[in-house]
Amino acid sequence: MFAYIVRRILATIPVMAIVALFVFSLLYIAPGDPAAVIAGDQATPADVERIRASLGLDRPYLVRFGAWLWDILRGDLGTSIFTNLPVATMIQQRIEPTLSLMIVTLILAVSIAVPMGVVAAWRQGTWVDRAVMGFAVLGFSVPVFVVGYVLAYVFALELDWLPVQGYTPFSRGFGPWIENLILPAVALGSVYIALIARITRATMLEVLQQDYIRTAKAKGVGQRSILFMHALKNAAVPIVTVIGIGIALLIGGAVVTESVFAIPGLGRLTVDAILRRDYPVIQGVVLLFSFIYVLVNLAIDLAYTLFDPRIRY
Amino acid sequence: MIGRRGLMAATAAGVAMPSVVGAQGGAARTLRVIPQANLTSLDPVWTTAVVTRNNAFMIYDQICAQDGKGEIRPQMAEGWEMSDDRLSVTFTLRSGLVFHDGERVTARDCVASIDRWSKRDPFMQVLQPSVAEVAALDDRRFRFRLHRPVPLLLAALGQTQFPCFIMPERIARTDAFTQVREAVGSGPFKFLPNEWNPGQRSVWAKHDGYVPRQEAVDGLAGGRVPRIDRVEWTVITDPATSANAMMLGEQDYWEYPLHDLLGLMRRNRDLVVQQRLMDGTYGIARFNTLHPPFNNPAIRRAVAMAVDQRDYLTAVAGSDPAGWGACEGVFTCDTPMANEAGSEILKTRNIDRAKAALAAAGYNGERVVLIAPGDYPQINTLSMVTADLLKRLGMNLELVAADWGTLIQRRTSKEPVERGGWSIIHTTSSGQSLTLPVTHLFLRANGPNAWFGWPDDSEIERLRAEWVAAGDAAEHRRIAEALNRRAMETMHYLPLGYYWQPSVWRRNVTGVFRAPATVFWNMGKA
Repeated sequence: MFAYIVRRILATIPVMAIVALFVFSLLYIAPGDPAAVIAGDQATPADVERIRASLGLDRPYLVRFGAWLWDILRGDLGTSIFTNLPVATMIQQRIEPTLSLMIVTLILAVSIAVPMGVVAAWRQGTWVDRAVMGFAVLGFSVPVFVVGYVLAYVFALELDWLPVQGYTPFSRGFGPWIENLILPAVALGSVYIALIARITRATMLEVLQQDYIRTAKAKGVGQRSILFMHALKNAAVPIVTVIGIGIALLIGGAVVTESVFAIPGLGRLTVDAILRRDYPVIQGVVLLFSFIYVLVNLAIDLAYTLFDPRIRY
Repeated sequence: MIGRRGLMAATAAGVAMPSVVGAQGGAARTLRVIPQANLTSLDPVWTTAVVTRNNAFMIYDQICAQDGKGEIRPQMAEGWEMSDDRLSVTFTLRSGLVFHDGERVTARDCVASIDRWSKRDPFMQVLQPSVAEVAALDDRRFRFRLHRPVPLLLAALGQTQFPCFIMPERIARTDAFTQVREAVGSGPFKFLPNEWNPGQRSVWAKHDGYVPRQEAVDGLAGGRVPRIDRVEWTVITDPATSANAMMLGEQDYWEYPLHDLLGLMRRNRDLVVQQRLMDGTYGIARFNTLHPPFNNPAIRRAVAMAVDQRDYLTAVAGSDPAGWGACEGVFTCDTPMANEAGSEILKTRNIDRAKAALAAAGYNGERVVLIAPGDYPQINTLSMVTADLLKRLGMNLELVAADWGTLIQRRTSKEPVERGGWSIIHTTSSGQSLTLPVTHLFLRANGPNAWFGWPDDSEIERLRAEWVAAGDAAEHRRIAEALNRRAMETMHYLPLGYYWQPSVWRRNVTGVFRAPATVFWNMGKA
């Protein structure tokens, strides 16, 4: 197992290298010029050129890529063109809100969606099943920003139960921290709940028709025990896979949710950097997201061994 | 019904409450602002972004500044003295001026700051050939020595568009094309770098050592009194969220509310919606004069005949005429140079006559590429109205949707449309910069060095140079009329009128005053 983990971690190196090359090349050929943004309308072409030169943007592709790669290998993600701050500092400032949002969303989604899917499978064809599936269709169909606006209107503007925007760091207490995260997590989690609930239901239906379930019922095992101890454990592998794949969904959804609720996270940092063509920031954040995704995949693969003893690495 | 505080008391851990209470106490001495954009750079010389300039007004001070009537008044300067031959101007600084790092402001700081600023400011670059030297005479006095009289010197030094802010000499020595690494000024508020989270929050604290002028505040002139302990900018990119934050009292001041949401804001009794900026925002459509069809002035004029500014302004700022105004000349309306000499063509407003003029001009179905920036709501709206107009004129239009970052790169292309070029772009500009021929970006017609579209017209350039050299107001006025007439003949761009950009603040915010820029001195909270 340990050797497998080491092998998988080493395998991330070529993956990250390909991501780095791809991101750098894409930004190089994409239209846009940060020097023009900085210089503004009044600047002459010569002024723009001087700013471009001072930022090193006039150097050839290979020179720029080589310099960036060398910095990355030394653990330096570079400096933002606009703010003059190290990219690592900017990521550090923004990572807590995004991780908080993702963790709360994940906990919320899993704790709601898995029981929903189990119950829907157990009560297949009844109104409960139809209600759960109806909710799932709704969750898939309504965009995150619409859910966000509706939640903000009802719970912030009308009821004044929760703040409409912003983020409070965890260090200032659990109460203020969670208060700011409830609405965004519910909004972001709506799609995720729908996805997990549907997969849980489908997998559970398949498992519930297995012979060993019939045997358990014949032996008089209780309904709850059958559902959660016997069936759910065997249905867990596809569910865990979907949860892992859904992390990418969360990263994408966080961009919209962070904008709607003014959460200063990595999603907004990325969008802002893209709009301004702040290349070092875009490259740094994309590399980080790629790394997180690779680690999540590894964690999911390792989690399989917990649910299915037949899987060994 | 239980509100948020009640719910918090019921559900949150008790230990969390002190921080909430503390935050409320601080809120009374903190002005919480939603700025018009994200503050990404602090150096007002390195970048011309308006948000950076607004930040700079808090951190830095100016030698002289514009009052409510547009006159230039002393600010850091006690006064100035012009020699009888008008070939030297000596400025004397007020006593007691100190930077945020505790150092005294000296004339050497002013000289270094003027030197760096004049390398980037287009206005000062026009005057620079007439300046022989700027030198410190002692700690409090510095002198401009001139080759010839420069009547516009004070206007350049005190301008709001690209203000001359004073930094410590050690910082002002930085190359004008390189961003400074410290934000240390002598203005009424000091920047708190440790609390800066670009894209989320920027914070300034009152500069206790600031010595304001004794006069009452008047535009950007007069006493810049910091009446609040902290100013906090929180970037909220979503207008609906900004509106909600204002209505719930989570923020105190919203600089650029979306016009669509103004009605909602006005109906809320806790909010004040008012025009604070003294100038409107002017829209323009720029032709690329290098390539067909708009290398033909008759075709440009034909399109102008179809333009009705009210269509544009209604689309951008709504149907209430109080929110906008037609301005059918090239200079900012209601300013000394404003005139409509030769502007009759913009009053045609007739599609059929425009179509006839287009045919007579020899339009032959050449492709017209219009680039619209989807992430810039106002400019995008102006672009859509022009697109509709060109379609109704029967032109062969290709509408390209792009983001602003792409547009500002593509507009630099001098290639024909078949090779990635463009035909029409739109932008907006503060009325400030269209007030004088010397700062008017779109009027310039110096070919390759002109603004994008690169018009070339020696008559406009000659008139502009004549205006700079002219000494009296009547002469300025006469030349401005000639410029307007010539601009209507060449029609290098279409003036699309102006709209007002009101701001919103909570009713407990006090001391709000009209000014040419968004500034936060003199403002407090009841």
